[in-house]
Amino acid sequence: MTTEEKDRIELLQGTLDLLILRTLLFGPAHGHAIARAIERNSEDVLQVEQGSLYPALHRLIKRGWISFAEGPSENNRRAKYYRLTARGRRQLQVETTKWDKLAGAIARILRPAEEKVE
Amino acid sequence: MSRRKSRKKMLVDLDEDIREHIEIETRENIENGMTPEEAHYAALRKFGNPLLVKEDVCAVWIQQWLEHLGQDLRYGLRTLAQTPALTAVVVLSLALGIGANTAIFSLIDAVMLRMLPVKDPQQLVLLSSNQTKAVHGAPEYSGYGISLSYPGFLRLRQNNDVFASVFGFVPLGFDTESVAVKIDGQPSLAGGEMVSGNYFDGLGVAPLLGRLLTADDEAHAAQVTVLSFPYWTRRFGRSPSVVGKTIFLGGHPYTIVGVTPPEFFGVEPGRSPDFWVPLADEPGLTPWGVTAGSGQSMFTQKKWWWLMIMGRLKPGVSQTKARAALDVWLRQTLTGDLGMQEVDARTFVMKADPASRGLDSLRSYFSQPLTILMSVVGLVLLIACGNVAALLLARAQSRRREMAVRLALGASRSRLVRQLLTESLMLALAGGAVGLAFAAWGAPLLVALMSGGAPLPIDVHLNLTVIGFAAGVAMLTGILFGLAPALGSTRANLSPALKENAAGFQRRPGSRWSFGKSLVIAQVAFSLLLITGAGLFVRTLMNLEHQNLGFDPYGVLLFGVNPRQSGYEGPRLIDVYGGLLDRVRAVPGVQGATLSAFTLLSGWVNSGQIAVENPPVKQDEGASILWNVVGPDFLKTMRIQLLLGRDISVNDTASSPHVAVVNEVLARKYFGSLDPIGRRFTFGQKFNPNDAYQIVGVVRSARYDGMRGDLPMTAYVPFTQAGEPGAMHFEVRTAGDPTSIIPSLRRAVQEVDSNLALSDVKSQNQQIDEALAQQRMFALLSCFFGALALALAAIGLYGTMSYGVGRKTNEIGIRMALGAKANQVLKAVLGEAFALVLIGAALGLPLAFIAARFVASNLYGLKPSDPLTFVAATVTLLAVAALAAYLPARRASKVDPMVALRNE
Repeated sequence: MTTEEKDRIELLQGTLDLLILRTLLFGPAHGHAIARAIERNSEDVLQVEQGSLYPALHRLIKRGWISFAEGPSENNRRAKYYRLTARGRRQLQVETTKWDKLAGAIARILRPAEEKVE
Repeated sequence: MSRRKSRKKMLVDLDEDIREHIEIETRENIENGMTPEEAHYAALRKFGNPLLVKEDVCAVWIQQWLEHLGQDLRYGLRTLAQTPALTAVVVLSLALGIGANTAIFSLIDAVMLRMLPVKDPQQLVLLSSNQTKAVHGAPEYSGYGISLSYPGFLRLRQNNDVFASVFGFVPLGFDTESVAVKIDGQPSLAGGEMVSGNYFDGLGVAPLLGRLLTADDEAHAAQVTVLSFPYWTRRFGRSPSVVGKTIFLGGHPYTIVGVTPPEFFGVEPGRSPDFWVPLADEPGLTPWGVTAGSGQSMFTQKKWWWLMIMGRLKPGVSQTKARAALDVWLRQTLTGDLGMQEVDARTFVMKADPASRGLDSLRSYFSQPLTILMSVVGLVLLIACGNVAALLLARAQSRRREMAVRLALGASRSRLVRQLLTESLMLALAGGAVGLAFAAWGAPLLVALMSGGAPLPIDVHLNLTVIGFAAGVAMLTGILFGLAPALGSTRANLSPALKENAAGFQRRPGSRWSFGKSLVIAQVAFSLLLITGAGLFVRTLMNLEHQNLGFDPYGVLLFGVNPRQSGYEGPRLIDVYGGLLDRVRAVPGVQGATLSAFTLLSGWVNSGQIAVENPPVKQDEGASILWNVVGPDFLKTMRIQLLLGRDISVNDTASSPHVAVVNEVLARKYFGSLDPIGRRFTFGQKFNPNDAYQIVGVVRSARYDGMRGDLPMTAYVPFTQAGEPGAMHFEVRTAGDPTSIIPSLRRAVQEVDSNLALSDVKSQNQQIDEALAQQRMFALLSCFFGALALALAAIGLYGTMSYGVGRKTNEIGIRMALGAKANQVLKAVLGEAFALVLIGAALGLPLAFIAARFVASNLYGLKPSDPLTFVAATVTLLAVAALAAYLPARRASKVDPMVALRNE
């Protein structure tokens, strides 16, 4: 367990929003499913404290980037299914571009040699 | 689902969402092979602290709200700063409106709402009976409900199970300053109260200095006194060494034992005693300043009711229960021991009224004027609000494009409305703050106006209630005048607004205009109501001031003395008055002097019934008459015209036959066309030849009790023949300014006896001014507020008309290009303005007519429907309206067609 935990990365401020938007691009999902998807798609490297998902979801609703509807969960109870709005979709593009630029820039700073090789 | 609703749902459902999340995780964990318990804890661990999550979620929304508020405030400040003139006009009109309301409210708070500054005031009740007339000798004084006789009080205090404590109090005279005081050899006058030993304890008042009165003081009639804070400040400079000092009250030594705290003023707002002494047969001091005659003490008489009593209810005892218990107990006691007759007991009612705000004499005197004034300033505020709404409406109209653009870009309407409301609330609160400053400055001025003579001891400093009131009014007006423009300009009808061109060509005529116009109509109606009221009050004051008083008030100086408090009694008392009169007449500049029990229009009178010997009057015809006890030459000095017979003279002494002078209305009522001279009458219900007064003169009727109503039937009897005189007042007629002889008068009185102090020194005209204080205040304030209302309405009309002219510049230009004359344009605009004003006036006149009937009792010498006032008010309104409408009309007539058309 200990080694596993060391390998896991705490999420950067704001990136959770991006990940949620990205996850919802595949279709509506409820809170638990979103958390699961983020963990799984990052091959369990990104560790989301599942509770922190909820303030992020509310923030996104507030900004009008996602909306929600109610539907049945695996437990056959009511759950909220979140989905991207049109604005959210646009925002995802903006954020993804921003992220790519940021990641590229950081990578260039950290590994200037590799860039030369390429 | 609307956003607001969805947000609320999000928060409400959060718990459920979290629970659901954890359960799904738990299920997955079980499917992965954990035991149910392990699975649950693992799920919880993974989720993190739900409480923190909930807090974070709330923070998200609060943050948004604060962000929006901050944006709104910043944006609002910017927009307001862009139009400084508009902002200033709005803030100032609101400040005037809110300030006036707050000033009047602070008086209402002080007089009608504030609780006594004592412990648990809501437990206090005041006992008062309806029996003052039936009980022999009880002083009748408006505002006071006499509670019981002293023996009755003692029994009640010992023997009742509804009150935690029962305490009594009684003033030492009818006037505010009625006790002769001597401090370090200096004579002066002060007002005091006798209170039972448990008075301070029962009220829950703690001493500021020394101690307060106790049951022991009462039991032993200790010659001790407690000073009030203002008196201690005034006379002793707040010296802490007054405790233990001896002062003379009514000529006898009393030791100061303590001082009450600054906020305590007794139990009657507006009448604050200077000192308190124990309720007992104290030397030199008597309840109400009266003596029982025949040497009997007032404290032993069962049938003489003179004491006022308050009780503090035991916890859990309701007022109803207390009243019932009290009633039973009193009936038994009264018909038994206290010597009340059966017939009295049947009609007897003892009230136990809530006394949390103290005795209500001030309240009953001022509640009607204050209510009228509050309605007046409320209307002024409404008119001011109308202006502000119109101005904001006009501005909102010019911002329609901005709003439409923002709506089109996806701003929600509620967000825009909120932003506009924030702006109007900012205006309102700024107006409220300035208004509060106006009120702080104006309220003491109002108190001075209302009191006439000596200012009433009312505390109108700003307090939390008053500040809260101002803030509340400001908020309310902010919402009231801000909502309509905000809703109007954000109406979700985008395309016409977007299509409007820069010059603001109006494609939807009428819809907003009607609101702006109805505002003007309402303002005109309300201001007409207010100026009509002002006219009625001014005419009333003029009628009161210019009426024929029946005597000549010019050049007369009044002052009172009370030699009885310096030890004079019996024949010596009559002699000292005679001596004083001689000495006063010798003062240079004095043309004549006399004395009387009460000066004219002081507010004090003797009243009662008389029975005439011949012709006899039937019992039910015997109306109440007024009488005064006067010295020689009273009628001559006051210049009351003698019609028949003679004046009261020096020769009417205690031993000569009893005589009286009556006035014309009395003579006509009792004797008709018969000659009244020589006829006899008795005070009381039955003629008694042994105690009769013979009429020796008839005079013209004159004002005595007040400035209003019919001239009272009045009888004048010599002060030597009407029992032992109490305090008397002198009337001194001078050639010039009567107040200039005050110093020499003081010296003259001191020469007769250095212990005598002068009270109520003022000219007769000052006294009349004081009697008219309330009326003058009404006239002044209603004029001020009427003018304010009229000015506000004129600004409203002017603003609306110029705005309309500005918007219609194109149209006017086209008309003029097509041949319309400047005169015609002028007429058209004026006509439109006058249509509004006339509709307003047509609504305002009936309103004023109805409102005037409510103040009918405050009017004098004219009907509430006084045609002159109504016509004058309407003409004033039309004149002001014409002026306000002329400027924009002239601007319209000067429109250059070419310029206007090029503007398009």
